[in-house]
Amino acid sequence: MEAIFILGTALLLAILPFLLKKSKIYPFLNAFGHFCILLIAIAISSKIINSGTHLAYLNIFYIDALSCVFIVTISVINFASAVYSIGYIKQDIKEGHIKEKKSNAYYSLFNLFTFSMFLVPMLNNLGFIWVAIEMTTLVSAFLVGFYNKKTSLEAAWKYIIICSVGITLALFGTILFFYTASRAGVGTLNWTDMLRVSASLDPNIVKIAFVFVLIGYGTKAGLAPMHTWLPDAHSQAPAPISALLSGVLLKTALFAILRFMVITNYCVGTWFAGNLLIIFGLISLAVAAGFILVQKDIKRLLAYSSVEHIGIIALGFGFGGAFGLFGAFLHIFNHAVTKSLMFFGIGSIVKKYCTNNLHVIRGVISTMPFIGIVVLFGVFALAGSVPFSIFISEITIFISGFTKGSYFAIGLALFFIVVIFAALISHFSQILFGKACVEQKKEGAPFSTKVSLIFLLLFIITLGVIIPDFFIKLFNGAIGVING
Amino acid sequence: MQTNIFLSGVLLMTFAMVVSKRITALINSFSLQSFFLFLFTLSLAISRHETGLYIVAGLLFLLKVILVPKFLRYVIKRIKVEENVGLFLNPLLSLISALGLIYLAYLFTKKIMPTDSIEGYSLIISLSVTLIGMFIMIFRMKALTQIIGLLVMENGLFLAAASLSGGMPFFVEIAIFFDVFVCVIILGVFVFKISTLFTHIDVNKLTELKG
Repeated sequence: MEAIFILGTALLLAILPFLLKKSKIYPFLNAFGHFCILLIAIAISSKIINSGTHLAYLNIFYIDALSCVFIVTISVINFASAVYSIGYIKQDIKEGHIKEKKSNAYYSLFNLFTFSMFLVPMLNNLGFIWVAIEMTTLVSAFLVGFYNKKTSLEAAWKYIIICSVGITLALFGTILFFYTASRAGVGTLNWTDMLRVSASLDPNIVKIAFVFVLIGYGTKAGLAPMHTWLPDAHSQAPAPISALLSGVLLKTALFAILRFMVITNYCVGTWFAGNLLIIFGLISLAVAAGFILVQKDIKRLLAYSSVEHIGIIALGFGFGGAFGLFGAFLHIFNHAVTKSLMFFGIGSIVKKYCTNNLHVIRGVISTMPFIGIVVLFGVFALAGSVPFSIFISEITIFISGFTKGSYFAIGLALFFIVVIFAALISHFSQILFGKACVEQKKEGAPFSTKVSLIFLLLFIITLGVIIPDFFIKLFNGAIGVING
Repeated sequence: MQTNIFLSGVLLMTFAMVVSKRITALINSFSLQSFFLFLFTLSLAISRHETGLYIVAGLLFLLKVILVPKFLRYVIKRIKVEENVGLFLNPLLSLISALGLIYLAYLFTKKIMPTDSIEGYSLIISLSVTLIGMFIMIFRMKALTQIIGLLVMENGLFLAAASLSGGMPFFVEIAIFFDVFVCVIILGVFVFKISTLFTHIDVNKLTELKG
């Protein structure tokens, strides 16, 4: 019943801001609550990977090693984001961007959002997974439009409309899966039941259904060319929410794709889903490379970088095999951590300079020394240079591509990654070391910001040097789920 | 026999939506389409003797025939928006495109099942309704018409689920209903926000974010 505890805590934290009279202590309570959730998530995961089985309650919840990868990732990012929010929202109130009362709404929505995200990997029923993913869209739309400015409303509208259409297509795919499963004698939408009969499904229908699912959930996952909502939403949301959107929301949609991919793989072989994922991955990389190169808005730059990394993850799942899958899972975690770090850092910078234009922001290292140095680490990690964690996962994915003989795909991917590397370094060298045209007052970061940044940085550096036993077992367990 | 009439009714109302020029007409057609869908589900429930389907049909009637259209009319009244649907393609061309989409749905269905069966027939109609819903979302540039387009897509999917396999499992169906309803309410809230901040609801004028 530990899973219920995670969901319950998130819900409780969502209601609490309206019950507490004194809202001053709530942010700290929120961070503490998410710390507890993180501990429970790790406990559940170690229990599952050590016993090699899964947890199932009531025929609704089903948690295996694949779910655990996502639950752990979500809880890590949530904790960091909850801590970062303390300083960020406080400053927002101080500067008059939002009223003090509205911070209650922020924390409530924040926790509803985390609740819906935790729900996705815990469910067994593919229809309920659809509902949970639609729920993440609906809740986070309010967070994207949180500042009630013209631009943020525009972003929220596009976000909710594009993702709803995408997810409607995914529902059509789900219906087709259900149709062929019901002909094979399964009357439920449970993933475990469908998996049992996967060999006797109609391969023709499964192929078409998977395409619908991939395009539908791919819209939410930010795969190009369905990514168009992503830069708008990421750039307009408050920084802690951008981190959640980019770090884990995209991954929950990916989780749904993976569940369907397992069934498809059993039915028609791994080549079908694999090739589709490789194609979408390459398109994502190409689109991201182009837009990062000419980008003017610093938060949109990070958003396109998310498109890039989702593309790399798709490549990993596309190549498949033990190496490809391991790399992809590792990359899911690494990207979540690194991108959150960047959004936090950039969020503080944007607040200080009052602009998103990266040609105006200059000399961050001298005005904000701590954040400047962290962002310097972060950008090298994000671009995939040694000795940081993303380098390890990318190299693992490429090794799997080489052993599989997809030289063309690997060549293209490497080309785009090199372009992105160069673009990122050139943009950020200006931002960090360039000479400021307007002299800014030197300013230290709030304590909570420092804590969250160091927490994330520890992961980035540690995973670049050594992968702890816990993660190896976790990812191997998830590979076991996918390969059967 | 009746099922055929109900299915044709659903398709007919979709055409009515494609050619309508005023938002209120669009909402009325949507309400009627949902009503035909309700009759279809009811006939399915009667022929299969399933309590779950009766409840689903009742919910369909309550939500999509009564509550959602009522809510949309309320939104229109409150924001006092002009009536036209923001045509990007005139009704005649839209009608031709809709015919093309139906042919597409036919070709698609032919690939996966025989089209002369009742299943194939209803899959063609549900798929065309879904595609036309998407068409309405793309070529009618008002925030409200986009909501209706989404609802039409959802109706198409409901029809697909009901006709292909006698409806999704009961609780999933209920959850999806609830989700769609909440989605419409939230979109309505955003329409309010947009109309107060922008003083219009023309989606094609929301172009500040790009690149």
